[in-house]
Amino acid sequence: MRQGFRQCMSWLHIWSGLLVGWILFAVFLTGTASYFRNEISAWMRPELQAAAPGAEPVRLAIETLQRTAPNSPSWIISPPDERGGELRVFWREPGARRFATAVLDPATGEPVRTRESLGGNFFYRFHFELHMAPLWGRWIVGFCAMMMLVAIISGIVTHRRIFADFFTFRPGKGAGRSWLDAHNALGVLALPYHLMITYTGLITLMVMYMPWGIQAAYQGDRQAFVNDVFGTAALVKRANQPAPLTPIAPLLDEATRRWGGPPGRIDVQQPGDASAVIRMTRRDAESISANPQTLTFDGLRGTLLSASGEAAAAAATRGVAYGLHLGRFASPLLRGLFFLSGLAGTAMVATGLVLWAAKHRHRHARNGRAGFGLRLVEALNLATIAGLPTAMFGFLWANRLLPLHLADRAEWEVRCFFLIWALAGLQAVLWPGLRSWAAQFGAAALLGLLLPVLNLLTTDRHLGASLPAGDWAMAGTDLVAAGLGLLLGYLAWRLVHRAPARQALRGARLARAEGA
Amino acid sequence: MALLGFGLAYAGFLGLSLAMDRHHAELLGGRPATARRRLLRGLGWGLLGLSLLPCLALWGTGIGLVSWLGLLTAAGLGLILLIPYAPRLALWLGPLLPLAGLLAWPILVA
Amino acid sequence: MSLAARIPAGWRRLRAWHWPGVLSRTIAAVLGGYALAALVATAFAAWLPASRAEAVLTGMMLSFLIYAGAVIWVFAARSAGRAWAGLLPPVLVLAALLWLTGGLA
Repeated sequence: MRQGFRQCMSWLHIWSGLLVGWILFAVFLTGTASYFRNEISAWMRPELQAAAPGAEPVRLAIETLQRTAPNSPSWIISPPDERGGELRVFWREPGARRFATAVLDPATGEPVRTRESLGGNFFYRFHFELHMAPLWGRWIVGFCAMMMLVAIISGIVTHRRIFADFFTFRPGKGAGRSWLDAHNALGVLALPYHLMITYTGLITLMVMYMPWGIQAAYQGDRQAFVNDVFGTAALVKRANQPAPLTPIAPLLDEATRRWGGPPGRIDVQQPGDASAVIRMTRRDAESISANPQTLTFDGLRGTLLSASGEAAAAAATRGVAYGLHLGRFASPLLRGLFFLSGLAGTAMVATGLVLWAAKHRHRHARNGRAGFGLRLVEALNLATIAGLPTAMFGFLWANRLLPLHLADRAEWEVRCFFLIWALAGLQAVLWPGLRSWAAQFGAAALLGLLLPVLNLLTTDRHLGASLPAGDWAMAGTDLVAAGLGLLLGYLAWRLVHRAPARQALRGARLARAEGA
Repeated sequence: MALLGFGLAYAGFLGLSLAMDRHHAELLGGRPATARRRLLRGLGWGLLGLSLLPCLALWGTGIGLVSWLGLLTAAGLGLILLIPYAPRLALWLGPLLPLAGLLAWPILVA
Repeated sequence: MSLAARIPAGWRRLRAWHWPGVLSRTIAAVLGGYALAALVATAFAAWLPASRAEAVLTGMMLSFLIYAGAVIWVFAARSAGRAWAGLLPPVLVLAALLWLTGGLA
């Protein structure tokens, strides 16, 4: 029972990583895709032309809301920005708890009739809710993130030669050597990112995970806490005196003058009433911190009521953490680097899972039959690591191939995603082994590589049109999908052509090494 | 300037890796003498430190630091992939990337 | 010695670590660790001499590090008994102090 600290940590690293590894892989991969949530959403609604930012879309949105939701106590307008986002509005029917939402045409203000699709929001929500009931999904993801934090810390302790093994990658070496090298390199080189993204991920949902301080200091009044943190005033009470809303354009100008850019969000409280208030929130792309800076205007006279100032230390820290996690930076290079680091994290989880299976497969090869645990891990590895990318590309394909006016079309896209994933799982259970790995990586590679072709056949915003037009949401999604397809194709090709010989060699070499 | 930061980070990692027996043998052949090892290691850390400067100049403190860490990751991963597959290229990129960064600097800034 | 060389040993150790011990540690880590983290968060909220929101936020953000630290401690301890012995006193002391000072409103 007496072992060294490092060995205990090694045990903890292996088991904490293995137990939640499959969910972590899914969380990492969908989260990485979510760095391009806007771009994926735009790709999935090809009818919607990229909107130009400016005051006009906001004015049109307000006109539409005045017509369609005059009695709503609250409107939220999310205008398009330079990244080609959509003009989206939210409103709440009196008495309703949830917000209704619609995407508007920025040129006319009318609700757009595009194909129904969840767009990039599907990956985004899956990333922290796993497409489950929010309460369940968020707690499960939170638990896994906590395990991830433990796995990272214990992994650092375990990996004694953390700097000596820094650059070592020996492809084609025996029995998990290469997997271990890759796992180490991916883990160590992107270590700041891994620590940051795990910890800040917990922080984004901490009010849910750790409400006890609010319980003690605010008697559980979360809204009061949120108002204190963000320096916002409580909701205004309706005066029940009809009054016209002030024109929005001068307020937008004021916000643009103060911030050097238009606001990222406009809230109108009690529109059409004498108590109306308009609040503008600064776009979070201009600095790391996503601590919202707001300007609050009188809704009738248009005078500035208050401007939220500098956040205090802890609130500022939270803002930085939140901003880092979401990575909505203006700089495309930095977003690219985050995407790369996210892929590194995904690959780190995958290599860790494969490493476990490779080690145990090797031991069982000597002892005889593979046990149930190993077969379970191998099936889950295949279904997750190869199955999820296939299903994610399949989701994009479903968006183009499903009939445009299918009832519940958005829901059907999601069903296609899960159907493909389930098929991958079935194959993993029925036909475990390298062939199935190659088949699934191959399928994912084809789906990715041919995505630009599919886009060419089904829309007029293919690469030939989108590249000259500088339509980066469209072209970027096509190109990144094709690039990832190429990478997956390389993996499949390696599995088909090199694996058998390598495996024999690997076994012999390891036997020698262990005999020595 | 981003390319300069990336190039310096790459060269820094290359220096650090060359200060290790295994990678010195792979890339240059033989074991490095103690003095040479010290020099390479010092050069490596120095270049890594230098690579922070263009990031800070380009993006300011907050975004600059975050971008720097991202560039370090990208440069390190690139080097790790190049060492086994294309060792000569890995070596040549050491001086070439920072040079390209320096040359591209006035073009990109202008 | 690298991680790879130790994995078989890790497997053997799991057999040696009888499952009641592992189960006990797991409970200590998951539930005990959360209890400690929640109490620390509450203690910060109640006692940190800063504005209410700042105190609550500080405690919340630190609690996850406390949780991670507690899990590491539980699995690094020599035995499950020692793990509990290290974890329970701070939990009980914090809970008692908070209760006495009315922090557990």
